[in-house]
Amino acid sequence: MERGDQDFNILLATDSYKVTHYKQYPPNTSKVYSYFECREKKTEPSRDRKVKYDKTVFYGLQYILHKYLKGKVVTSEKIQEAKKVYLEHFQDDVFNESGWNYILQEYDGHLPIEVKAVPEGSVIPRGNVLFTVESTDPKCYWLTNWVETILVQIWYPITVATNSREQKKILAKYLKETSGSLDGLEYKLHDFGYRGVSSQETAGIGASAHLVNFKGTDTVAGIGVIKKCYGTKDPVPGFSVPAAEHSTITAWGKDHEKDAFKHIVTQFPSVPVSVVSDSYDIYNACEKIWGEDLRDLIESRSAKAPLLVRPDSGNPLDTVLKVLDILGKKFLPVENSLGFKVLPPYIRVIQGDGVDINTLQEIVEGMKTNRWSIENISFGSGGALLQKLTRDLLNCSFKCSYVVTNGLGVNVFKDPVADPNKRSKKGRLSLHKSQSGEYLTLEEGRGELEEYGVDLLHTVFHNGKIVKTYTFDEVRENAKLKDCEVQQLLN
Amino acid sequence: ILKNTEFLFMLSITHYKQYPPDISKVYSYFECRSRSEGQFNEVVFFGLQYLLKKYLAGPVVTEDKIQEAKIFYQLHFRQPVFDEEGWRKILEKHDGRLPICIKAIPEGKVIPRGNVLFTVENTDPDFYWLTNYVETMLVQVWYPITVATISREFKKILAKHLKATSGSLEGLDFKMHDFGYRGVSSQESAALGGAAHLVNFCSTDTVAGIQMVRRYYGCPMAGFSIPAAEHSTIISWGKNREKEAFESLLDQFPSGPVSVVSDSYDIFNACKRIWGDELKERVMERSADSTLVIRPDSGDVAETLLQVIKILEDCFGCSLNSMGYKLLPSYLRIIQGDGIDLGSVDEVLKKLRDKGWSAENVFFGCGSTLLQKMNRDTLNCVFKCSYVETNGRGMDVWKQPVTDPSKGSKRGRLSLRRNSNGFLETVERGAGKPEEDLLVTVFENGSILQEYTLEEIRKNAQLWQEDIIPCQHNQDHLQAEQQHIMNAVH
Repeated sequence: MERGDQDFNILLATDSYKVTHYKQYPPNTSKVYSYFECREKKTEPSRDRKVKYDKTVFYGLQYILHKYLKGKVVTSEKIQEAKKVYLEHFQDDVFNESGWNYILQEYDGHLPIEVKAVPEGSVIPRGNVLFTVESTDPKCYWLTNWVETILVQIWYPITVATNSREQKKILAKYLKETSGSLDGLEYKLHDFGYRGVSSQETAGIGASAHLVNFKGTDTVAGIGVIKKCYGTKDPVPGFSVPAAEHSTITAWGKDHEKDAFKHIVTQFPSVPVSVVSDSYDIYNACEKIWGEDLRDLIESRSAKAPLLVRPDSGNPLDTVLKVLDILGKKFLPVENSLGFKVLPPYIRVIQGDGVDINTLQEIVEGMKTNRWSIENISFGSGGALLQKLTRDLLNCSFKCSYVVTNGLGVNVFKDPVADPNKRSKKGRLSLHKSQSGEYLTLEEGRGELEEYGVDLLHTVFHNGKIVKTYTFDEVRENAKLKDCEVQQLLN
Repeated sequence: ILKNTEFLFMLSITHYKQYPPDISKVYSYFECRSRSEGQFNEVVFFGLQYLLKKYLAGPVVTEDKIQEAKIFYQLHFRQPVFDEEGWRKILEKHDGRLPICIKAIPEGKVIPRGNVLFTVENTDPDFYWLTNYVETMLVQVWYPITVATISREFKKILAKHLKATSGSLEGLDFKMHDFGYRGVSSQESAALGGAAHLVNFCSTDTVAGIQMVRRYYGCPMAGFSIPAAEHSTIISWGKNREKEAFESLLDQFPSGPVSVVSDSYDIFNACKRIWGDELKERVMERSADSTLVIRPDSGDVAETLLQVIKILEDCFGCSLNSMGYKLLPSYLRIIQGDGIDLGSVDEVLKKLRDKGWSAENVFFGCGSTLLQKMNRDTLNCVFKCSYVETNGRGMDVWKQPVTDPSKGSKRGRLSLRRNSNGFLETVERGAGKPEEDLLVTVFENGSILQEYTLEEIRKNAQLWQEDIIPCQHNQDHLQAEQQHIMNAVH
């Protein structure tokens, strides 16, 4: 495995206030134990959420461990750098220089913490422990929550993977209902989000999270993350097709849209090619240019190399239905075994504008109502897939639940009077599966009793070493839609 | 020397085959499109310098990277579409440096929506395809622009209330603290977003932002913080020892400000019984330099704050400032860091004011809303081709979808000027006069030609007079304006 990021300084990768926390724990504290969960929201405001997100996909810890926490992350240069920065930043000497020097000396700069986690890709109901962190050296009790800031950023890959999977369920349901099979499901939602995320690094993480559920992406950065931190048996985990953008159409001039279209489909005769068609008038493009002027050219394409007509403006559902109608008049559809219309195999539609989990539902429902099979369409999503998400969506939270002070273990928790949703779990935690297959988090160390069976949290990181890893194939396997899940969607 | 060894070639890689034959120039621009109903009428331009320095400057193309990309794209597209020859030409002709030219408005400038902010064009006819190749990377500037803009909007609200209730803007730069490090999507976004906030404020816990500004914007220390508790450092004492936890904090940090989260079990009890009674003397020992800043962190934002400040008034008393608004004693303040957004900040300060409290009493922290809860559509940031040259002839190009007029793009070569009324406007179709153009060449053929320091950027992004005029005066002013216009019509 590759080395972590050399420029990165873990001593400077925390919330400022955590620099001062080593002074704030009770005296003679020798252990701080914390956990991470996607809290349940028991009291939901009256504006009912359409999508419940009752379960989350656990993904992304391995990236953080690999890139930021493993190996020798403390050096004397980094300690000195941090010391200087904090002196200026706080206008005071509050930095725990000796604490970090201790780690450098005793552990050769490796972090004396232990992380136990549920396997990556696991789909777990809200309100369960997903990973725990504890210090392994009494002198480093303060380290557990130092790494909270960086570990809590796992909210992002978890949320992207979860939201992407919820969309997969919607697509699976309607695809099955309108075509009888799930063929091509993995290519039905394409990642268009590269430009719409907040940074290159986010693009990589988010794109990889989407690829847990799907295989179509234009966010190339995701592939690098998967290769470096997870590994796949396939040479690449994500694929794309040649596609136009507005500039490659408009550069031909307003009166030459047809020449642009013709040139582009001719450049890519034997693979699928996507052509954005709304630069001036999507309906005219579909009816006159694709439907008449270039019709023969399109009809000569094989089923392996369809033209994908891409609208990119207007109300998504209305536009899709109108485009299907127009194309359907020029390229006569057939009825599939369930009585839904399917365009000839050499032409399809890709809707990549305004797609989020809600509009996706609207479009596939609208198509079904109008007797169009979902085989006709695929979707692209950008901002909604990779950016329009926050930590609050799944209430991702990291909290201390257990400490050892003066040799005694104490179960600790918060329980703010004004918000029962913010109450945290107590004591040492473990995750179990009951006989009926339900997940259960046990608190206060109860899971250590034999009767509850095996703890599903595995040690993944110990004193600077990653001790258990998952391949991306295993992640995908854990996160796949189960047959019973698909069955439930159809009922 | 390559700055970023992980930088992979982006998609758009099939576009070189799609442009008209004999095309020799592609010229594109970036704007934050106008919206008729709109919350944000002006934007702060920030962040391009980071992208240029980190990803585009110097020799970014090497033979190794070409080979890596070739293999990769063969697998990704399942066929050869990668323009190996095109990239090798950059290596051979230009030493791996990108033959493009970028002109931009100076960073920190505050520009109305719907104006060109920067333009990109290829400088060598062989590389017409390069302009839009870098689109994906450059469009990510939407993020620092949006954070800096929203952060500045917070500043406007805070300035209004501060001026109205205290008569001055002292301390404004510390009123909004960045709590967003854990709630953003990556370390890099934290750095970029954290830096963008520091354009407007000096208060942050997102250490990554400080480092970013030091490396890319020439400011060694752009933001400050204070010792503060978190829930774990309170609850670890045990439920019955919250007082001991609080007291220990006062002991450990005797001589500077300290912030103590006080809602672990019962915020009202903590304020009334622990701070206001059991530890009252210890609190009163502190000075204006070692303020205790009490932090609620749950419940309704405004209601909780009002209740807390009332309890503190009852326990510690208050005085009146020069404008007649109430002030807690100088050793005591409040910071509200939960549930803060543009709406709730305004609401809280308004309610406080209605109850006679000065905005000086409260500080704010913001996490997600400051650094994560935004997207490219928040300010409609787009990059579009507006001009090409084919067969030696220039042509203005644009899109104008019938399905959405607001998605129409600008035409031709663009420049930004200040018109005779003093307003900024974009001139299209190459009609702009070079001497009036406010766009500056910042990048050309791999070199950065113009840099800005945070100091300059902060100056450019300062609030204007009309942002600071107190509320009532603003209303009168507005009404007077409207009268004037009506009269003029008559």
